[in-house]
Amino acid sequence: METLLNPSKTPNLFIPKTHLFKLSFLHSNFNPQPHSSFNRRPLSITITCKVKTSQGRKNDGKNISKKIVLTDSAPELSNEEIKAKPKGGGKAWGVIKKFPKRVLAILSNLPLAIGEMFTVAGLMALGTAIDQGESPEYYFLKYPEENPIFGFFTWRWVLTLGFDHMFSSPVFLGTLILLGTSLMACTYTTQIPLVKVARRWSFLQSADSIRKQEFSDTLPQASVSDLGVILMGAGYEVFLKGPSLYAFKGLAGRFAPIGVHLAMLLIMAGGTLSATGSFRGSVTVPQGLNFVMGDVLGPTGFLSTPTEAFNTEVHVNKFYMDYYDSGEVSQFHTDLSLFDMNGKEVMRKTLSVNDPLRYGGITIYQTDWSFSALQILKDGEGPFNLAMAPLTINGDKKLFGTFLPVGDTDSSNVKGISMLARDLQSIVLYDKQGKFAGVRRPNSKLPIEIDGTKIVIVDAIGSSGLDLKTDPGVPAVYAGFGALMLTTCISYLSHAQIWALQDGTTVIVGGKTNRAKAEFPDEMNRLLDQVPEIVESSISKKPDNIGG
Amino acid sequence: MIFSTLEHILTHISFSVVSIVITIHFLTLFLLVDEVVGLYDSSKKGMIVTFFCITGLLVTRWIYSGHFPLSDLYESLIFLSWGFSLIHMVSYLKFKKRKNNLSAITAPSAIFTQGFATSGLLTKMHQSAILAPALQSQWLMMHVSMMVLGYAALLCGSLLSVALLVITFRKAIKIIGENNNFSFSFGKIQYMNERSNVLLNTYFLSSKNYYRYQLTQQLDRWSYRIISLGFIFLTIGILSGAVWANEAWGSYWNWDPKETWAFITWTIFAIYFHTRTNTNLEGVNSALVASMGFLIIWICYFGVNLLGIGLHSYGSFTLN
Repeated sequence: METLLNPSKTPNLFIPKTHLFKLSFLHSNFNPQPHSSFNRRPLSITITCKVKTSQGRKNDGKNISKKIVLTDSAPELSNEEIKAKPKGGGKAWGVIKKFPKRVLAILSNLPLAIGEMFTVAGLMALGTAIDQGESPEYYFLKYPEENPIFGFFTWRWVLTLGFDHMFSSPVFLGTLILLGTSLMACTYTTQIPLVKVARRWSFLQSADSIRKQEFSDTLPQASVSDLGVILMGAGYEVFLKGPSLYAFKGLAGRFAPIGVHLAMLLIMAGGTLSATGSFRGSVTVPQGLNFVMGDVLGPTGFLSTPTEAFNTEVHVNKFYMDYYDSGEVSQFHTDLSLFDMNGKEVMRKTLSVNDPLRYGGITIYQTDWSFSALQILKDGEGPFNLAMAPLTINGDKKLFGTFLPVGDTDSSNVKGISMLARDLQSIVLYDKQGKFAGVRRPNSKLPIEIDGTKIVIVDAIGSSGLDLKTDPGVPAVYAGFGALMLTTCISYLSHAQIWALQDGTTVIVGGKTNRAKAEFPDEMNRLLDQVPEIVESSISKKPDNIGG
Repeated sequence: MIFSTLEHILTHISFSVVSIVITIHFLTLFLLVDEVVGLYDSSKKGMIVTFFCITGLLVTRWIYSGHFPLSDLYESLIFLSWGFSLIHMVSYLKFKKRKNNLSAITAPSAIFTQGFATSGLLTKMHQSAILAPALQSQWLMMHVSMMVLGYAALLCGSLLSVALLVITFRKAIKIIGENNNFSFSFGKIQYMNERSNVLLNTYFLSSKNYYRYQLTQQLDRWSYRIISLGFIFLTIGILSGAVWANEAWGSYWNWDPKETWAFITWTIFAIYFHTRTNTNLEGVNSALVASMGFLIIWICYFGVNLLGIGLHSYGSFTLN
């Protein structure tokens, strides 16, 4: 039993912080043992000394030493770790109280977090490989049971696990939620204590510990205060206490990862709010018609509540397109007027792609266009509005067509004039046999003669494709984006720490950095070369500058 | 007319210069003509010439077409090779004193991307095309340039990690290779020889190991710094893309294939940083993750474009 307290067998004390919790279990086990074994030796003193010299463990050291001293004198349970397990009854209550701590410890485990991230990445990759949002028959055909991919992957896997709507499936969302909770747990348990550790100005008192740093050097005939001045000139914050010095630079680089995690939590919260509380809708409105916003917008989740602005009526005054010289579409615009319930015009704006309209929390985007109707004069009569129908071709070029019947309209195979258009600027006409007849522009008002019928194209009426959206989560998400960009940039900074000790006329310097490990030795050498060497003639110092 | 010929000239100059540079590098590697310092110097100058050529090429294209030169796959490939030569220039200027190994990675990357872009596969895309309405935005400059620069830096960093892995496991690969050949007996004799000359060879082996250790340490630190920089660019690129999407189409995340793969790339490099926090996993494990990242970046940048669907279909092309 005495060997348990043997200093040579105290590797337990050097376990990293995440295992601190386990340590208290170890010590709480010591309580029920008889006191005679502890009363005999003053071993506690040796142990505490050993613990003190390792940096960053001072907290643990103090805790441990307290525990040992307590068990030495009397079985007092004033230590907060052991409070949770009082003697006698209430053991179950103690277990329940410790449950959140255990969960926290499990969640903030790094390999678990890495595993979760890999899982998220893998699921996303799978989501791009499997076509999303198709009907079940599609998956029956693509992943048949008779011929499974890799020998086991059939449509059953796809449909039961929800891979056809991967990005809203329970599997994916569950992994994301787990990742979010891990993020919160990790920030709470590991990173915030890191702030406390990093802020402490920990002077190192012994030359040995300074020499053990990643970079260390010895300056004979130098003074610690000269070093301090040089470091201050190089942008370090210097603290001198007697013969020892502590300097650091770039402390922001230590805190920035916490900022990154908090920004990500903000983005996730904003995203959740968007998913559950927004309204969406899209509409294709021919020029000259109107619609009410509330009719078009549909809720996306259970938190969506409509606002007063939903009663606004939107009127499309004009829809027009700009073209390049080559004939390609350059931009499309819609001139909109908004009227409130009383018929008063509250807003008028011309939208285009990349330039939306915002009103009362609702945003209207120009996303698409269509051809509504072609207005023609036939043999001087009219104007007739012929509805244009979209014709499907490959790619994202559009084609619209309409048909003007000529002759007997009740017979089974009606012949007529076909009109096709790719955009609103020119119409191509074909005669009854389907032969090309001519091209006309709507604003030219030139007539065309086809099979004895005189056609004049008066106007091409387009319709505007608008997307409406209201999203309460956007401010939070934008704030999160900005914070993430900023904190990611800041975490590139490297946190450098330098310790120095004046030992007679020699100065022992040691330093470490967390990021720029490649450049640190060079920078240190450059700084140390600037420290003046003291040429001693008597007690007074005559600094002789040997810079280099 | 002047601009297009100027563009042609600059393309060909940069291509030839980079070919010469890479030939020099291979010569120094294989023929061990290290002593010829002049060659090394000329390769440095060659990379500087390349940098200015590609910059000139991009500026010419910008003036000629009236829009920022990043609207389709060809232009983004040129921009990527510009990114590589930029990284090379920055590391060259910052660390003039020490011999820089980085050029062995950036120079070939620049040549290969430049070569692929100017090769016969994509000739029909060399003409500067007209910008679709959705791309006419100020966000184009920030989003795409940040993304491509991020890809360039991350590719460099992951290649350094791959180099680290190759050096670390070179002995293992050699031993495995020898086991499979008739030279197994030869290898065994070598091994016995080494063991018998323990005293003599320990010094040499340990110094060889020491230099190898130094090299892997240096590679590890370099790749960490470059990947950090690339990660910042990637983050800014993804987030500016999301904000642009919100301004243009009303939703900042659509699970578009390219967006999703960019997010997967971001996740893999986040895993890389997290593996480095724990010193047990540092070194080889993080290098493994970064090597995975290399493949994933190529899928994200190139592979998704082959699908040709989604919001990013501007970058798609068909091989003919």
